[in-house]
Amino acid sequence: KMAFASHSHRDPSGTYTFSSRPRAVENRSKHSETTKRHYGNIMYDRRVVRGNTYAKHILPTTAQPDPAEIRRQQANRRRAIARKQAREQFRPNTPEALEGRKHTDVQTELYLEELSNIIATTDIECQTDPFLDRPATPLFIPAKSGKDVETQIEEGELFDFDIEVQPVLEVLVGKTIEQSLLEVMEEEELACLKAQQRAFEELRNNELAEVQRLQEMERRHNEEKERRIAQQREVLRKEKEIAEKIAARAYTQQYLAGLLPAVFTSLRRHGYFYNPVEKDIETNFFPWLMDEVNNRVERRYTAREILDTMIYDVTQKRLERFNEEETQPEKSDS
Amino acid sequence: MAGALTDPTRAPVAFGRRAVPQLFGELLRAGAAARLRALTSLCDLVHEPERLHQAVTGGYLKQLKVLFRDEDPSVRAKICELLHLLTSHSIGRQAVLASSLLPPLCQLLDDSSFSCRRNVHQVLSHLALLPAGAEALLSLVPKLMLKLTKEEDEEVQLLLLSTLTHCSRLDALPGLASDGVSLLGRKLSHRSSIIRRDAAAAMMALSVPMDGKRQVCEDAEVLPVLVGLLQDKDVEVQANAAGVIMNTVIITTGKQRCLDLDVLPVLLGLLSEKHGDDDEEEMKKRRKALIMYVLRALTSLAEAPNGRRLLLEQLPLLEKKAEAAEVDQDIRRATQTAIQVITWTP
Repeated sequence: KMAFASHSHRDPSGTYTFSSRPRAVENRSKHSETTKRHYGNIMYDRRVVRGNTYAKHILPTTAQPDPAEIRRQQANRRRAIARKQAREQFRPNTPEALEGRKHTDVQTELYLEELSNIIATTDIECQTDPFLDRPATPLFIPAKSGKDVETQIEEGELFDFDIEVQPVLEVLVGKTIEQSLLEVMEEEELACLKAQQRAFEELRNNELAEVQRLQEMERRHNEEKERRIAQQREVLRKEKEIAEKIAARAYTQQYLAGLLPAVFTSLRRHGYFYNPVEKDIETNFFPWLMDEVNNRVERRYTAREILDTMIYDVTQKRLERFNEEETQPEKSDS
Repeated sequence: MAGALTDPTRAPVAFGRRAVPQLFGELLRAGAAARLRALTSLCDLVHEPERLHQAVTGGYLKQLKVLFRDEDPSVRAKICELLHLLTSHSIGRQAVLASSLLPPLCQLLDDSSFSCRRNVHQVLSHLALLPAGAEALLSLVPKLMLKLTKEEDEEVQLLLLSTLTHCSRLDALPGLASDGVSLLGRKLSHRSSIIRRDAAAAMMALSVPMDGKRQVCEDAEVLPVLVGLLQDKDVEVQANAAGVIMNTVIITTGKQRCLDLDVLPVLLGLLSEKHGDDDEEEMKKRRKALIMYVLRALTSLAEAPNGRRLLLEQLPLLEKKAEAAEVDQDIRRATQTAIQVITWTP
């Protein structure tokens, strides 16, 4: 479909624009019978000079009209023809000529005219005079009608800055002050909190120090007590030790008092103090003496033994002989 | 559709409830520049408690883990700033702890960009305010101690000190094990009074367990510096130094050393100092802490014979102070305890 020939719309920047494609003027010509279509296509309008005006007329490149346009024009043509045909169908025509007659056109005017298709033309040139500048049209001042009323807006009547600015200013100032009051209150609150915290901290530190001091005191007292008790215990222990030592000392003294004579007596008893001559006699002489005595006595003993055995033998033999003699006499007796 | 963003450093924020989810989504999807813009907008939004609540309970924190390893240092710094804002509320702290963001965060401690490191320290110091957070940070304490020695910038030092103080309040042993006493002793003579105050506070937290007290006594330089700090101009520094001394003199060695350093007159002087602007509430509060600590230190010192002797002479002063009508309950109680201890005989 052909786009609209004219556009008017609102530009993005808000201004009103209007544009339309160039349209050729309708071709009204009394003389022409070849009815062109009602729209003149300037592309085919011979009045329009196309191409270079200083050179040969070259066929322009865009000679072809739009195929859509061609189609449309053809359709228009067809429609016009159809319309005309339809019209002619319904238009009463003059009836057909009878036989032998012929209808001819006749001019019935007063003055006869030569009818021909050839149109007598003459070329006339015309040149416009150089134009003078068109004078400005005089102002159209309509006749005065009605009452004259004037009004003028003085400076400051429509818009008085001082009055207008008041509410805005009030709001601004009010909000600012409100906001700053809030902030100041907040800061005060925070400062108060901080002060409280600080006071608490100080108290806490104090009490902490006090607690620690008391703890320390307790600890020191305890330690002191412990130390004193330990000291006392030490003292007691020492005293006990000393008492034991004294007792031991007394005992040993006592013990040792009788020790010395006892030692001497026992030594003397055991013979550690000896007379060397006596000892010598005892150790050397007496054993020898005893040995000699023993020997002598042994010899005597041995001698006695031998004697005893001799005697025994003899007696045994006599006994045997007597026994024999006894038995023999018995034998002889019997 | 007017077009250009009003602030080129911030991403556009959706309306109402969609704001936070949409920005988080953009964080994950978009390229580097858009991420920075989205982060900046998020930081602005999170100041408001409701948005913070939405951000925290929406479960977006796990997705932030990926962003920690981003190449752009400003993105990393912004992430840490966002976490810092989140942890300024308790639910934020709990959420950060629960979503196990700590390990990647700790890796960022060694980051090359300074602002990133500073923001990480801010996050850590906020986390340490929560007991559970302090517990989680205990394992980091040695590393933080190391950083304390190396870091030059005061702000970061302050943050580190506050983190360490909170952690040590919970459990001082890791801090002591990494040689905290000598480190902090060096910081005690810093030129800035805030750092001195915080270092003294950290030392006070460290000297609570017995081991800490021993270390403070053994370290030859710390005690004299502390006694010197008692004369400092800033009340808070004085108070904290008195607190450390109070903790130290609990053990016998501490008593001996402090008495050797002649600390008694100083303490007594602090007790009876009267400022012209004592009527101000805040000054009173601060001085109250100082007076309490000094009284406790005196109580502990009175348990040593030399101390008791010296303090017996000063007894009337203390009695007068106890009867003064203006002091409040705590001070009065402390004074009475002190008097009791001084007049105790075995």
